[in-house]
Amino acid sequence: MNVSRLLRVLGVVTVLAILLFPLYWMVTSSFTPEARIFGEPSVIPRTVVLDHYRALFGGRDFWRPIRNSLVVAGATTAVSVGLGVLCAYALARLQFRGKTVMLAFILGVSMFPQISIVSPLYLLLRELRLINTYPGLVLPYLTFAMPLTIWLLVGFFRQLPAELEEAALMDGAGRLRTLREIILPLAWPGLATAAILTFLYCWNEFLFALSFTLGPERYTVPVAIALFRGQYQVPWGEILAAAVVATLPVALLVLVAQRRIVAGLTAGAVKG
Amino acid sequence: MRSEERLGWALSLPGLAVISAIAVFPIGWTAWESLHVHDLRMPWLGRPFVGLANYAEALSSPRFWDAMAHTAVFTAVTVTVELIGGLFLALIVDRISRGRDLVRTTVLLPWAIPTVVVALVWRFLFENPAGLVNAVLFRLGMSSPTWFADATAAWVPLMLADAWKMTPFVAVLLLAGLQSIDRSLYEAARIDGAGWGRQLTALTLPLLRPALLVAFIFRTLDAIRVFDVIYVMTGGGPGTATEPIALLTFSMLLQNLRFGFGAALSMIVFAVTFVLAVVFIRVLGRDALTGRVA
Amino acid sequence: MLRAASRRLVAVDAAAHRPWVAIVFAIAALSAGCGAGQDPHVLMFAGSAVGAEADAIRGQLNRFHAMHPSIRVELRATPDAADQRHQLYVQWLNAHAPDPDVLQLDVVWTPEFAAAGWILDLDQFHAPTSDFFPAAVAANRWNGVLYALPWFIDVGMLYWRTDLMSHPPATIDDLQRLATVAIEQHGVPFGLVWQGARYEGLVTVFLEYLGAFGGAILDTDGRVALNSNAAVTALTTMRDEIHVDRIVPPAVLTWQEEQVRFAFQNGQAAFMRNWPYAFTLLQDASQSRVAGRFRVASMPAGAGGAPTSALGGSVLAINAYTGDRDAAYRLIDYLLQPEQLLERARVVGQYPPRPTLYDTPALAEALPIAPHDARDIIDRAVARPVTPVYTELSEILQIALHRALTNQQEPRAALEEAAASIQALLDKAGLSAER
Repeated sequence: MNVSRLLRVLGVVTVLAILLFPLYWMVTSSFTPEARIFGEPSVIPRTVVLDHYRALFGGRDFWRPIRNSLVVAGATTAVSVGLGVLCAYALARLQFRGKTVMLAFILGVSMFPQISIVSPLYLLLRELRLINTYPGLVLPYLTFAMPLTIWLLVGFFRQLPAELEEAALMDGAGRLRTLREIILPLAWPGLATAAILTFLYCWNEFLFALSFTLGPERYTVPVAIALFRGQYQVPWGEILAAAVVATLPVALLVLVAQRRIVAGLTAGAVKG
Repeated sequence: MRSEERLGWALSLPGLAVISAIAVFPIGWTAWESLHVHDLRMPWLGRPFVGLANYAEALSSPRFWDAMAHTAVFTAVTVTVELIGGLFLALIVDRISRGRDLVRTTVLLPWAIPTVVVALVWRFLFENPAGLVNAVLFRLGMSSPTWFADATAAWVPLMLADAWKMTPFVAVLLLAGLQSIDRSLYEAARIDGAGWGRQLTALTLPLLRPALLVAFIFRTLDAIRVFDVIYVMTGGGPGTATEPIALLTFSMLLQNLRFGFGAALSMIVFAVTFVLAVVFIRVLGRDALTGRVA
Repeated sequence: MLRAASRRLVAVDAAAHRPWVAIVFAIAALSAGCGAGQDPHVLMFAGSAVGAEADAIRGQLNRFHAMHPSIRVELRATPDAADQRHQLYVQWLNAHAPDPDVLQLDVVWTPEFAAAGWILDLDQFHAPTSDFFPAAVAANRWNGVLYALPWFIDVGMLYWRTDLMSHPPATIDDLQRLATVAIEQHGVPFGLVWQGARYEGLVTVFLEYLGAFGGAILDTDGRVALNSNAAVTALTTMRDEIHVDRIVPPAVLTWQEEQVRFAFQNGQAAFMRNWPYAFTLLQDASQSRVAGRFRVASMPAGAGGAPTSALGGSVLAINAYTGDRDAAYRLIDYLLQPEQLLERARVVGQYPPRPTLYDTPALAEALPIAPHDARDIIDRAVARPVTPVYTELSEILQIALHRALTNQQEPRAALEEAAASIQALLDKAGLSAER
């Protein structure tokens, strides 16, 4: 083993440690009794208790925000992918006037600062009596989910070899039939990636959820954690336990789908 | 050809309609609202048209310029750190031949975690008086500032949290670019006698330019709109010392209920982002839009 | 190629239908979410639910439900800190949320919520307003219309140590003299403690000194009178108590009600200015070192003024967007019944808003101080300005007061600035505030 290789391995290990340490600290602290949370720090925790988790799911009923996040993220992803796949196919494969403008438009919208549309969305949702409801979050979420989904799917559709469709067209199949029978099954990995990334963004979203929900019955996970209130002091143990719970689904997703995630991030961004 | 055109429009219109309705129309509405006084606490004042008065008030408000300055500093520092750190990380990971999956998972975790969680964990690390950072500094014999009560020190955990979360994202973007570089070029350079440093500057960086640009622009646009991490970690405090423009806009809208004034601030944020986005699209070129390889 | 594709026709069909299935699922999920939580007869009550108050209100809500089985009542706890509760209410009401139906408000919030159209006018229910203290009712009228009913009264009081002096001070000079004596001769660390942190409580303390010297925040025409000589004298007196006479510790500048209470409770102060809630806690011998060694009196007057107490307390209002206003009013009516008010007095020590109760022996038993003494103080209570922009007005005033008290600015300059800003605020809001 030569020196440079050793250095490289050391470098990687150090970097990984830096990346993982805050998470490690978060997890171990969530099992530490409240009185010791700010006590003498030790790398391996001395005592392990489940108090915070019990309080989290007992007193604070943390299942509710989890369910809210699942419903909102799931519905947004479903609608977004459902509508977006057709749009993306058209933009990737069909030739029509205004296509480039449309692509630029979608790319532009994905860069909208969320804060800039909070006020009209708020007044609109209030008028429709949708504040603090599920549709009242899904609709605003579509503002960033749809451009994201479309952009990712366009990237994937472009990567499919054009010969497939050309062969089908020459055999007399119509465009729509080609789409259904040839393209969609092959783009399934791309759809999955787009769904995963969209779900991830929705799960982590904070500003809209903060602005358009009013109470624990509709808070999503990020908002519920951010608004934890203790009576006299900050309940760090429970907050960290909630943070761990909020991280688990995400971590699972990353573990299972990291290749897809990377492919999605880079296909959409680097090559286009 | 015409049927293809019709089909193209038919397929893309529903998606486009949704986007226009919920994203574009609201922006237009915000622009119109920014020209009125609309205080939801004082409905008896109505909603009079005041032209550019809200903008004048914003531009003459010290709190506004402070917020802009905070945003600019935050953007400059975090983007620089993340680009350099991301490049460094990508270069290291690039050479790994075994354990790629594990490394990739680890690298992706911080990015995938909700920003709220990131903010809380880093707040916990820096919490006074006995967070881990203070405990370690104390052991090393150094004194530590009251991080979140100090206008300058509060930026440290904020920027660290953002860098920790987003450097891996930059690394992932750059890694893809690195891995598309032909290895034989490096071979050729080594044979020509170029050392590691020269290979980097003469070969890697130029070939990585598109990826670097994409990373730079994505991160810059995100940093300008920063909200979550600051709201959760410091609330903009102490006082308004760490308040970025997005948080100021939020406070004006949903705490002071001054929708007209908040709309003006929103438009300013939008304008800045829009200009940068246009620059982005220009720089990346039409190639990105039409799908031809650069 | 096509043959290979056709072989996968079954799977393909399913794949092609996925987007539509997804959309159907989404719609189902959305409509499920839409219909949730629309039971017409569940009243939600939002208010303070800490400690003894929680027990009291829960019991009362349960009894109300027993009397009206078709109406279920839920208690929605809100943060203890007043400004956090205020922010929450603003968020709910501004979003036109139908819950909570009945709200416990701080007395100073009524004009703000009324003018914004967030709470119902109560005249439609012909509430028996003559049963309540006139000052308390007046503070809940906006533009002549009644928007809330007083639930309990809070008044600022002077707590004094009976073991250090034989009678309470009659004037402010008297108070300062007695405080100095206590420090120098009896070894008490602090002469007098009051709430000096930069928050609403500071304004109530200032209000009492202001009245003691004959000043007011707004004059009879509704114009700002903060730059009057009386006001400058009042603020200067407060500042000098800390920095010149040294009878008030500088620490008060970060203290709210509880910290002030602790200081007095531990025997560290000869005088304390606080609200009635502290009385019961101070009488608890297991916690308090001054149990049985203190009494209350009204804050004394200075030159040219009268003994003044700041009027505080909570009121009950109905959410303008409630689904069932009659049920909501019935709940308010129930909570304002004499028996319910007496129970609150007993359990929480809060003063009822009905003057007639102060003649009853039941109240004498329930309250820790003699009802007549309490009533005297209440009759002399002064309300804060009744204006929808009170929150902003208070913030401007708090900043000015705190600057002067921390020696960052001279009292006259601070008050001049505050007066100008507040007048500009009132002008901008297009209101002439009512006194």
